[in-house]
Amino acid sequence: MNLRIGADIGGTFTDLILIDDSGKTFQVGKVLTTPDQPDDAVLVGIGQVLAEAGVDPGSISHVVHGTTLLTNALIERKGARTALITTAGFRDAIEIAREHRYDMYDLYLRRPEPLAPRFLRFEIDERLLADGTVRKPLNDGDVRSIITSLKHEEVEAVAVSLIHAYVNDTHERRVAEILSRELPGVAVTISSDLVPEIREYERTSTTLVNVYVKNIAQKYLRRLQHRLREEAGIAGTLFVMQSNGGVCEIDTAVQYPVRVVESGPAAGALAAAHYGGLLGYKNLLSFDMGGTTAKACLIADGEPAVTGEFEVDRQYQFKKGSGLAVKVPVIEMIEIGTGGGSIARVDAMQRLHVGPDSAGARPGPASYGLGGSEPTVTDADLVLGYLDPAFFLGGSMTLNMNDACRAIQHNIGERLNLTLMEAAWGVHQLANESMASAARIHAIERGKDVGKFPIFAFGGAGPVHAYGIAGILGSPRIIYPLGAGVMSAIGFMTAPLSLDFSRTFPGTLNNLDWQGVNNVLNDMEVEGKKALSRIIPAEQVSFQRYADMRYRKQGHEIRVPVPGGILSDSRRGELKTSFMQVYASIYGHTMAETPIDIVSWRVVAQGPKPRVTLPRAKADSSREAESARKGMRQIYLPKQRNTVEAPVYDRYALVLGTVFQGPAIIEERESTVVVNGPGDIRVDEYRNLIVDLLQQG
Amino acid sequence: MDQITLDILWNRLIATVNEQAAALMRSSFTSIVREAGDLSAGVFDCRGRMVAQAVTGTPGHINSLATGMIHILERFPADSLVPGDVLITNDPWKTASQLNDITIATPIFSSHKLVAFCVNCCHALDIGGRGLSADSRSVYEEGLFIPVMKLYEVGKPVEAIFEFLSANVRTPEEVHGDIHSQIVGNNVGGKQLLAFLNEFGLADIESLADEIIGRTEKGMRDRIRALSDGEYRIKLTIDGFDAPVVINTRIIIDDDELTVDFEGSSGAVPQGINVCLNYTRAYTTYGIKCVISPDIPNNEGSFKPITVTAPPGSILNARHPSAVGGRHLVGHFLPSAVMGAFAQALPERVMAPGFDGLWDTHIAGVERGTGKHFSFTWFSAGGAGALKDQDGLSATAYPSGIAGVPAEVIETLAPLVIRRRELRADSGGPGTFRGGLGQTMEIEVLTDEPYLFNGLYERINFPAPGLHGGKQGQTGRLLTSNRAELKSKISCRLPEDTVVTLEMPGGGGFGSPMQRDPMRVLNDVRNGYVTPTSASKDYGVVIDTERWEIDGSATKELRHQMTE
Repeated sequence: MNLRIGADIGGTFTDLILIDDSGKTFQVGKVLTTPDQPDDAVLVGIGQVLAEAGVDPGSISHVVHGTTLLTNALIERKGARTALITTAGFRDAIEIAREHRYDMYDLYLRRPEPLAPRFLRFEIDERLLADGTVRKPLNDGDVRSIITSLKHEEVEAVAVSLIHAYVNDTHERRVAEILSRELPGVAVTISSDLVPEIREYERTSTTLVNVYVKNIAQKYLRRLQHRLREEAGIAGTLFVMQSNGGVCEIDTAVQYPVRVVESGPAAGALAAAHYGGLLGYKNLLSFDMGGTTAKACLIADGEPAVTGEFEVDRQYQFKKGSGLAVKVPVIEMIEIGTGGGSIARVDAMQRLHVGPDSAGARPGPASYGLGGSEPTVTDADLVLGYLDPAFFLGGSMTLNMNDACRAIQHNIGERLNLTLMEAAWGVHQLANESMASAARIHAIERGKDVGKFPIFAFGGAGPVHAYGIAGILGSPRIIYPLGAGVMSAIGFMTAPLSLDFSRTFPGTLNNLDWQGVNNVLNDMEVEGKKALSRIIPAEQVSFQRYADMRYRKQGHEIRVPVPGGILSDSRRGELKTSFMQVYASIYGHTMAETPIDIVSWRVVAQGPKPRVTLPRAKADSSREAESARKGMRQIYLPKQRNTVEAPVYDRYALVLGTVFQGPAIIEERESTVVVNGPGDIRVDEYRNLIVDLLQQG
Repeated sequence: MDQITLDILWNRLIATVNEQAAALMRSSFTSIVREAGDLSAGVFDCRGRMVAQAVTGTPGHINSLATGMIHILERFPADSLVPGDVLITNDPWKTASQLNDITIATPIFSSHKLVAFCVNCCHALDIGGRGLSADSRSVYEEGLFIPVMKLYEVGKPVEAIFEFLSANVRTPEEVHGDIHSQIVGNNVGGKQLLAFLNEFGLADIESLADEIIGRTEKGMRDRIRALSDGEYRIKLTIDGFDAPVVINTRIIIDDDELTVDFEGSSGAVPQGINVCLNYTRAYTTYGIKCVISPDIPNNEGSFKPITVTAPPGSILNARHPSAVGGRHLVGHFLPSAVMGAFAQALPERVMAPGFDGLWDTHIAGVERGTGKHFSFTWFSAGGAGALKDQDGLSATAYPSGIAGVPAEVIETLAPLVIRRRELRADSGGPGTFRGGLGQTMEIEVLTDEPYLFNGLYERINFPAPGLHGGKQGQTGRLLTSNRAELKSKISCRLPEDTVVTLEMPGGGGFGSPMQRDPMRVLNDVRNGYVTPTSASKDYGVVIDTERWEIDGSATKELRHQMTE
């Protein structure tokens, strides 16, 4: 029996899950996050789930961990005092960035401050050319004189990003060598080690983000590792969830903390993919709506897509281009500023808007009674009867209906001359509209028709809104997993060991240096096997190869699977076919004559996918839905444009085989499933709720 | 129609055009389209009024698209169109003022009844002629001119047009590919629009359009009415081609109507920097929107209360067959002209003028060693102007949103070495808030033969002025390693060993530099954005550069002296 623990630290709660391979043990836990010392909550929570399951800590084989700690450090700018070393003439690449505005009309837009201020950006008089040849050699003395300044400035971390270091890393390595010798204790990251890819702004930005949080990651993860062993008595290995959908060892996370920054959302998407596999859906729209944002991720052919870049610290809520560029593999999803706490407002033109600004947890929605007076999505959901004021978070918190009504009526109803219910419905439905529209754009950008995808809804507010969104998208079915609030932790359990490698080695498909390509791919695979075989048997390591390819003159590459084995001219056709297939699936057409260029090569080294068995429920045909009914409640039905009495069910009392009809409300501790219209509802063997939408429109 | 229903329909309509634009952008072949979003997409009603527009693109495309549909319908009235028709044009006077910008309009039918048009405009990689430049002396030299024509008739491609295109452009496959993407984009939008009409049981979008346009117009009129009636003027001078160009701007606010008149501006010039009125209107309304209504949606209603006029034959209302290929070289200054005039009416809402005109560099020659021919073009940005409570953005494009090209990419694609790319100290205009800094770029060509150097640069002679006591930004400069002469608009052969240095202009400052918080000056000096000399000379702030402190008493005394 292989017992494993998942521990996900979120903004408010730390979620835990304890499972074994057989599906016999499946224990979830939730404790309040302890922001000052996040490992405290992890220890407490682990203690709880172990005790509840009656499991001995010594039998835990490993713990998978994910945290928002690093993201917070970046947003709050609480990382190291960081310096940057660049090639002479390029210390401003990080500040000049892409030279563009991310919003056309806002004169007041701001860009994020670089993580190293200009006076801590130093230049070295060395130079490589694009092909990697040395135009001007590195002089050790120059590095030493910079070190004097670094000492004087009491710098705690140094990023090194030299021009064209992605083709030739000797200068960067030499600089790192001298730095680590003469500045022990100072964190160092060189760009050619972290992200050996062309484009100096993106590479430098990624390197800075990494080194900026390196000390924090190291201190925290080492402490957690120590406390798990010493205090919790868990001897098993500690793994860390990465943004790419895989896990890595502590050593990797400490060396490359930037790879674990987006781990929480990535794990949610993995959980969706896992459930999809279990239930036989290769295609799914994973929809996760929380307090401040909603995230949508397309699962196509059983896997979420991985993209090569994201941003942290966006200055403009969720606006592409307004944050610090980070070039590491990350599960691709779209995030928009619509959550339970999103504020609804009427603008000067009498239009109603929802989000992207949020009331957050404090003061929070008006109904929290913590001083918030502006109406939010949660307030609207409460007014519409979708939420029970006495059963929020399973009754651990009560909502104030009067405050919600007042905020909606005063701020929206009166201004737009609408009844309370109409105003609340407007807020609910506009939130749905913007989420549906974001999901559809996300799908179009990937060449998919989202209307055919079932929706997998989780997060605190996801199940409240999924039915309305499905109606807009024309989705056939919605799946509501049990335990909507611990999906990320479940996702951790499904993630394989995984390491990403990339090399820029540009060429044209018709005229490739095959020897060079084989060397590049082989190097990465050897490196991957070496790293992973420290943890798992070498023969269990598998590889996926990709190339970033594009038609000549196009600005963006697409990631194309590359066949294994030795590549040569005779296999050019396979590469071309692979490119054409991916291209056509995204864009719907290909070009016969245009030359194809390859920019970078990638290898993902992976361990086997862990088995996760969810507990199955037994059918109990004697139990009618009726027996799970808690009562009746007036809820707003949009088709009727009025409130109607609808049954409220206890999610935990529903068993396999139960079948009933919408409209209905199904309550669980962390969320509420709202079916505010017709639909066939049933419970499957994993106790997921499945809602089939009847003919819409 | 109740407000919530309207909001939902309105949102859905905007979502429809965003999908249209996303489909087009993702499948485009031209890097300029993909990276810079050099395109626009909109939904128009049967009367040719723009109802909704995608939130992507450049102002030049977006706002000239809005007025272009009327011209297209004049040639092909709505009742003459049938399902399967697709219209095309690149007429600069009717659409985006440049032959490279191709507009495709697709009528959308619901059971044989015309319900709307999905339209987009997109920059083609090539359109023949001299290639994108300002060198032509008439539009005839600038490439293939496509009048308003049917590209598809009843679902069948009009092969003759495709053949003409293929025979006249340098990159037929990419140009065809992009036109194909444009058609696909419209189809995606059309499909979505029909599903939307069906879902909400609407027969067409006319009554929805009336609501949207009506409310937007009212919102816009309310904003204009809130301004003080009167006339506001400014005269901006820019480098121009051979001779300076004057943009004479007069904004007239009369109750809820706003007129911008460019009477007194320079006449059209022989080179291709003339602007068609559509484009003048596009960048003028864009500037107005930035100042008074960034939050009001862009549609027919937002343009209605605004009139833009320029004398026929002037550089801002060029007549056929003037050359217009480089119309952005003048058009990009119009938002600054608007800001300058508005500075008197809305002193706190405007941005000081910035570098405004993108620096466009083209180098071609023969690579050392390999003997291969190469050719490479890129755009670079100087500093933007300062605002009431914010420094201008350094090396950031405005009003165009085009993104730059990384040095590593330039060096990989062409035998060039970018020896330096850094912010230019002191180039931002001093002010309570400082103008953004320009950048310096030093370019070496790895060649053994003289090479072709084309530059279209601005603000070499005339700087970006400051506002409300703010000082002007530094002008741009061109330097060479061997005293080769460069002008702001140049096309020449340079000796092989010439290293060219581009020093790009900074933005104008806002408010008196004497009022700038000395801590900000200290921070600027510490970071090298401002030199210690400029700190004392321009800001009256004395900095101790050993201890990185402000010398309080010396500063007080100096500022006192300087304000005397």
